[in-house]
Amino acid sequence: MKILTLFSLFATYSSGNSINIEENAGQFFSSGHTNNWAVLVCTSRFWFNYRHVANTLSVYRSVKRLGIPDSHIVLMLADDMACNHRNPKPATVFSHKNMELNVYGDDVEVDYRGYEVTVENFLRVLTGRLPPSTPRSKRLLADDRSNILIYLTGHGGNGFLKFQDSEEISNVELADAFEQMWQKRRYNELLFIIDTCQGASMYERFYSPNLMALASSQVGEDSLSHQPDLAIGVHLMDRYTFYLLEFLEDIHPASKSNMNDLFKVCPKSQCVSTPGHRTDLFLRDPGSVLITDFFGSVRKIEITMETINLTDPIQQVELSPVNEELQIEKYSYADQLPVSEIIHQKPKQRDWHPPDGFILGLWTLILLVFFKTYGMKHLKHIF
Amino acid sequence: MAAPLTLLLIVAVTIRAALYRSSLADLISERVEVVSPLTAWKRVVEGLALLDLGVSPYSGDVFHETPLIIYLFHFLVDYAEITFMLADVITAVALYLTVKEYNKQVFRKQKYALEADRYPLDCLELIRSPKEMFYIPLKVAMFYLLNPFTILSCVAKSTCGLNNAVLSLFILSTVKGNVLLSAIFLSLATYQSIYPLTLCASALLYLMQRQYIPVNFRRASFWWFIVQYAFMYLGSLFVIVCLSFFLLGSWDFLPSVYGFILSVPDLTPNIGLFWYFFAEMFEHFRLFFLCVFQINVFFYTIPLSIKLKEHPVFLIFMQLAVISIFKSYPTVGDIALYMAFLPVWSHLHRFLRNIFLVCCVLLTCSALFPVLWHLWIYAGSANSNFYYAITLLFNVAQILLVSDYFYAFLRREHHLCYGLYLKRKDGSEATLVLK
Repeated sequence: MKILTLFSLFATYSSGNSINIEENAGQFFSSGHTNNWAVLVCTSRFWFNYRHVANTLSVYRSVKRLGIPDSHIVLMLADDMACNHRNPKPATVFSHKNMELNVYGDDVEVDYRGYEVTVENFLRVLTGRLPPSTPRSKRLLADDRSNILIYLTGHGGNGFLKFQDSEEISNVELADAFEQMWQKRRYNELLFIIDTCQGASMYERFYSPNLMALASSQVGEDSLSHQPDLAIGVHLMDRYTFYLLEFLEDIHPASKSNMNDLFKVCPKSQCVSTPGHRTDLFLRDPGSVLITDFFGSVRKIEITMETINLTDPIQQVELSPVNEELQIEKYSYADQLPVSEIIHQKPKQRDWHPPDGFILGLWTLILLVFFKTYGMKHLKHIF
Repeated sequence: MAAPLTLLLIVAVTIRAALYRSSLADLISERVEVVSPLTAWKRVVEGLALLDLGVSPYSGDVFHETPLIIYLFHFLVDYAEITFMLADVITAVALYLTVKEYNKQVFRKQKYALEADRYPLDCLELIRSPKEMFYIPLKVAMFYLLNPFTILSCVAKSTCGLNNAVLSLFILSTVKGNVLLSAIFLSLATYQSIYPLTLCASALLYLMQRQYIPVNFRRASFWWFIVQYAFMYLGSLFVIVCLSFFLLGSWDFLPSVYGFILSVPDLTPNIGLFWYFFAEMFEHFRLFFLCVFQINVFFYTIPLSIKLKEHPVFLIFMQLAVISIFKSYPTVGDIALYMAFLPVWSHLHRFLRNIFLVCCVLLTCSALFPVLWHLWIYAGSANSNFYYAITLLFNVAQILLVSDYFYAFLRREHHLCYGLYLKRKDGSEATLVLK
């Protein structure tokens, strides 16, 4: 009797566990990504834009701390502040006054430095259209299961971002580059953060799916810098990135904070400008997206003794299927190799046809001229 | 004569087909001497593609062909090569028949003049015999079909071949004396590019002389004929333009085609005279010089028709030459058309003075065009002045050729009136000079 109860308890426990395992397995596949990449770009040069380099290096530091390796980070810095001859503290870049945090340690790997940070190089990195001689460290080798974090900072305006004081990238170009990435299956989900003046204008034109965007200020507002350091002589960081860094310092690889917390970073009272975000192109609910999905490279590992049958479709945890069918994905990849068209060589569809009145009129005239020239005697054979 | 003509046609078609299959076809269709923004095949395909996408082909500065070309190539774009070869064949056959008819007329006139004893005795060696005139039609067809300029133009699928076909059909119908067809083909040719308007005068002169209407301003029959012809010409032009409106439902084609030809906005280098001049022009003077250049094309009509009113077919030749030299976007296909007529005046060779120089210059310039283009565009060691110099020289050589034939023709006529050995009043030998 006792054995029976024990057995039944064990059975229920194990069946309960197996249901739990199915849910956990569902959670495993809910985010859909298997690797993380980060593209961090500072677009300004000259000593007085110290804060932009500090911004980028702070985000770099956080991202590396949370697990993304250098091989998966493309860091583009337009100027070298640590070795600038105006830097009173050489080989350092500080992000906080009182020299609390040196973000330029001895393991910073800059992939594009100085004059290599151009609009063309940035777009080529994003779309992958680099010359064959480009080394791996300078390439974004993302695939369709990559979550990519893109962070831009510098001087911007309504619809453009200034690169190196000599050229600019427009929001349309950026949106088209992301569309190219989507069509070439170069990302699973993409988080775009921009810390410039009027930064929200840069994500206005996005139209590809699975993009989430954050900006430090709305159109018409300026993003302000945080605090000057009297010893170094320049502003060290921008407000938005300063509070972002503060927020990220509390994140560790196992934390469950989600994007809604990220949207609350730097409210107007602290930032003076109004940060904005855009999630309408993103398929998942931002509340279910973990910070570490983008900022870290978290390997989900859970040890279990149960077996899971993966041939059945794993139910999405948070979606309720309609009519017992899996919800069909709203977006799909464009057919990149239309084999059926190539093999069968269907004739091209001609959509335009000349109007019937035109054809009628033209041929009537031609017939009239013909009969006038060659005499009316042919007419009686027709009528 | 049908058999040699057929053989010639087969040879010509074979050459063109062989060139179509080779890799030269792509190379040739990009040469600026052979295609112009008006006639390029690439632009026709682009215009049709735009139409398939639902956009008017005249939006943007791509397509400058007339709507009838759209209609024609909507159905024939897959058979474009055959179309252009057929156009060349039609042109050659039309020229052949034209010259045959013209030879008959020349010989008939000569016979009447001989019987009326109008020729002085010492110029009998200038009289033409049927034997020497027998092979001229074949030679004309050969000159047109085997001319490297025509072959290049056909392989590049330039719509100049279609223009030439319409013009040669116009000349054929004029020479045969058919007033209605002549007016219709002339209006088609004018509809395609505005310049054949100048051929009106020569057609009128020929048709009036054929119908024995005296060319005299005071005669009512003269004006009545002009009114009839003008009515037919303008009427068919109006009908064709309205029909083109109905094809696309808009008047977009008027500024795109005619505005483009007349106002020359596209300054791509070609073998003409417009591009360099207007590239350097200040905007302030642009309109003035545009008018000057365009009037230059039409200007020679009246003086030439007055001088050559007894010889309208030669007038047609001169007008064609003037059009192809001075038009806004000339290509080598236009040159090929008037050069095809040269065998008709082969009896003038004893009076030509500059023919060696002209031939050398034309050959050299034709060879230098691609060389200097390469040096300018690809090697970067020349500039546009070099290319323009060759263009200028080429056009000067053409003008020299045409004026040389003009001189020779008039000199022969003079000799036929006044004898071959001219003497001044004191008996010493004299010679004729074209002033």
